Amino acid sequence: MKKVLTVLWLSATLGLAAPIEGYMQTLADEAKKTDASFSGFDAKRGEKLFFSEHVGKKGKKISCASCHTNDLNKAGENVFTAKVIDPLSPKANKERLSDVKNVKKWLRRNFNDVYNREGTALEKGDVLTFIRNY
Amino acid sequence: MKKYLIMAVSAATLIGGVALFADDERYERKVYAKSEKAVQPDMPKKKLNEFETLYQKECGSCHMAYQPEFLPKRSWSKMMDTLDNHFETDATLDVNDHKTILTYLTSNAGDSKYTTKHFSKMSNSVPRDEAPLRISQTPYFMKEHRGIPKRLIEQKEVKSIANCAACHTTANQGIYSERAINIPNYGRWDD
Repeated sequence: MKKVLTVLWLSATLGLAAPIEGYMQTLADEAKKTDASFSGFDAKRGEKLFFSEHVGKKGKKISCASCHTNDLNKAGENVFTAKVIDPLSPKANKERLSDVKNVKKWLRRNFNDVYNREGTALEKGDVLTFIRNY
Repeated sequence: MKKYLIMAVSAATLIGGVALFADDERYERKVYAKSEKAVQPDMPKKKLNEFETLYQKECGSCHMAYQPEFLPKRSWSKMMDTLDNHFETDATLDVNDHKTILTYLTSNAGDSKYTTKHFSKMSNSVPRDEAPLRISQTPYFMKEHRGIPKRLIEQKEVKSIANCAACHTTANQGIYSERAINIPNYGRWDD
């Protein structure tokens, strides 16, 4: 009986653990592979990535905040199409970071939009850490 | 102990099931209401709903999910081939989603089936050897919008000619009648 319970409890907690945790671990493994001295993601570095401006794909100087605003708890607006963007912080918007497929897609797209290249595992992990702890 | 466990598990299953069911129903109603006017069901209805929902979610997160009837098949094929630089933005998709949306767009394109009046006019006005990516560059669109002053288009409430719903209040339902036009800081528009 005790064994059965333990197995059930384990599968329940695993099932409940946010899928994003698994993705963070994948990113951490990758970051460690490129740099053996990697010692974890850092929200401060993520914040810098989020707010620093670059000449993006459209040839205009933008940062992530250009669309997501300076306050991640507030709704933003696509600076080019005027479409409303729901808040980025999981605190204000429960849907955020709940679907890893979606997270990967937007990291890929938005790094290209702002930085004109894909982000590294370290950068992605840092930005996600910043957003998660906002 | 075992009893409690069984109770807890079945309660969780029940709640999850009800939540899923409720969600399904909501989607169904929303999508039907939308597709009746805009999309003739050449595809089986269930599949169409699924495809349309994905299209709305993926493409509609950055701009209005334009009705596929507005452009011919060749335009949509070209569009989906160039998503890595989609109007200078990365709009790339996961392989499966890409396939689904391409199928949805091409099988509902203006030259793929019978369409209601204003849709077919837009798509049919495109010369055969052209495949525009902007609906706003089809001859019929340009004719219909040529009288609109630039300032009304560039004002912050509209921002761009691509923002249909800023003035066509029922654009998301595929209804572009003159009655439903309300230009911000101007009002109704009569031709």
